[in-house]
Amino acid sequence: MTFASIDALEQALREASYLPDRGLATALYLASTLEKPLLLEGEAGVGKTEAAKALARAQGARLIRLQCYEGLDVAHAVYEWNYSRQLLHIRAAQEGTVSEAELFGPEFLIRRPLLEAIESSEPVVLLIDEIDRADDEFEAFLLEVLSDFQITIPEVGTIVAERRPAVVLTSNRTRELHDALKRRCLFHWIGHPTLEREIEIVRLRVPGVPERLAAQAAAFVQGLRRLELAKPPGVAETIDWTQALAALGREELSAEVVEQTLGSVLKYHEDFESVRDRALVDLVQEARGAR
Amino acid sequence: MPGDAVVKHVVTFGRVLREAGIEVGPQRVQDALTGLDAVELARREDVYWTLRQTLVSRLEDLEPFDLAFSAWFERAPTRRAAPRTRAETIRPVASFAGGGTADAEPADGQQTARGWSYEELLRQRDFASLTPDELAHVRKLIARAGDCRPLRRSRRLRAHRRGHELDLRRLVRASLATGGDAAERSFRRRTLVPRKVVLLCDVSGSMEAYARALLLFVHAVVGTGRGVEAFAFGTRLTRLTPELATRDPERALADAAKRVLDWTGGTRIGESLKEFNDEWGRRALTRGAVVVIASDGWERDDAALLGSEMARLARSAYAVVWVNPLKGNPAYQPLAGGMRAALPFVDRFLPGHNLASLDALAEVLTGIERRHAA
Repeated sequence: MTFASIDALEQALREASYLPDRGLATALYLASTLEKPLLLEGEAGVGKTEAAKALARAQGARLIRLQCYEGLDVAHAVYEWNYSRQLLHIRAAQEGTVSEAELFGPEFLIRRPLLEAIESSEPVVLLIDEIDRADDEFEAFLLEVLSDFQITIPEVGTIVAERRPAVVLTSNRTRELHDALKRRCLFHWIGHPTLEREIEIVRLRVPGVPERLAAQAAAFVQGLRRLELAKPPGVAETIDWTQALAALGREELSAEVVEQTLGSVLKYHEDFESVRDRALVDLVQEARGAR
Repeated sequence: MPGDAVVKHVVTFGRVLREAGIEVGPQRVQDALTGLDAVELARREDVYWTLRQTLVSRLEDLEPFDLAFSAWFERAPTRRAAPRTRAETIRPVASFAGGGTADAEPADGQQTARGWSYEELLRQRDFASLTPDELAHVRKLIARAGDCRPLRRSRRLRAHRRGHELDLRRLVRASLATGGDAAERSFRRRTLVPRKVVLLCDVSGSMEAYARALLLFVHAVVGTGRGVEAFAFGTRLTRLTPELATRDPERALADAAKRVLDWTGGTRIGESLKEFNDEWGRRALTRGAVVVIASDGWERDDAALLGSEMARLARSAYAVVWVNPLKGNPAYQPLAGGMRAALPFVDRFLPGHNLASLDALAEVLTGIERRHAA
């Protein structure tokens, strides 16, 4: 399903519990209009993966996710033969001979995410998550798939996509991607949200959270991002943390409760220590003053 | 397709971006036009995002893009874009520990009295203090030290007798003949293949005493086979790989010095690295490679350029090793602007002033780990 305008897409994403800013909404809209893959980059926890999931929900499409890792290969990304079934099949046919064509037929094929996305006849959002973790060789292979939307299996032949899946790639920028791959994609950098948007996101994702708590938590995290931390917290952390605070029955922040729960916001011990020892009280003051 | 006026506007804007150093191909301009056709041109914000998402593909280009956009479409005087929210991540500098016996025991001639062998003595001697005779002797030893190569795991599995993974594809095919009995099992496993290495050697005046020995080392690494690239730089950059692959390293050094040096100039490390990144890094030469830079870090120009080019380099490289002969002196502190700017992007910072330190370098190169392995 394509959307008539950016506004329509924005609305659909909101209904799917995701609040995009105008930039991201435009990116997703262009990706579907131009039928190009979208490369999302940004700090960890700003909602790159979530954006793809929300797009799938908004389109009523199936989400197919390929999580990348170092050493990811064709057998895990595209297809593999079901060897045990093949062996059983040969066994079962003791009498007659088994032809090769029979043995390498579709029923013995295990479809991995890429093949599944290409073969699917229903609308699909293909999420290729953390592409920067995969090896160069895999990136080159992916480039081929993304340019033709077809996959060749030696024993079967070439499978061409009936309908191009919407493709979202995410990268944490642990390394630079190939220019060739980037050229194939639209590019959007997701930054941290503004305070107003972050409050809105928290209230949407943590139902029933006291308004004041949501505002103060968001303001506190925004303050943290201004510090020089090894790993600045993302929206995901704000949501987790607010959930924790709400579960503790808090109505607003206090230095004490922040210290107890700060671990769910700052995942690096050095960050945790430097904030606890230096900035914590000031940031709580500031956050409480915000609303 | 949008109207002629828009087409002209966008095409010219593409040219403006190219001048600002952003790579904008015709396909991108095409995408931008198709994109603009699909959004409301009256909404400035949508036009901005459409152009940005179609024309730019890297974070570093966003700021020049923003400047160009406001200058071009809003006719605004060029002003600084709003500060980015993304905080620069600070990477801890891995310091080199172990192996460098040179640091603990500064070499001087007196130690012969303790019965060190001639070779051991040479191992510890600073290259700058070697006589031509001694250097001739050391040559062989350097060549031996440089015969090293980092490895990486290949993604492909190859047939291997003692592999851990059953080669089911082969097994099934073999079983066809035996009616489903796996009479012979075949295995596969991942193999190790040589990793790419890029060596950049500073041959400017201040490095004169060490450049020769370091190039001998580079020569030996080039000899380990394909996938090694060598460059020399001073005020400019020049590629040495062909010379080092076929010829005498001494002559290659002399040639390089002629080509890269402007003797009144001093070293322009940042500029040379930029040349490297633009010319070679863009062709993915650095991708997945271990990059070794041998230089004393004395930058003639602004150190900021060196810092930003190091950042570019570090992002595409598998690991960056900086070899600084000055570090052989225990009292050395990396205070020079250039060295300080480069260090945050260096994974291993090593001396390279004597044979022992080159041995240590070889050891580091063979066992180097990815910086983001954690």
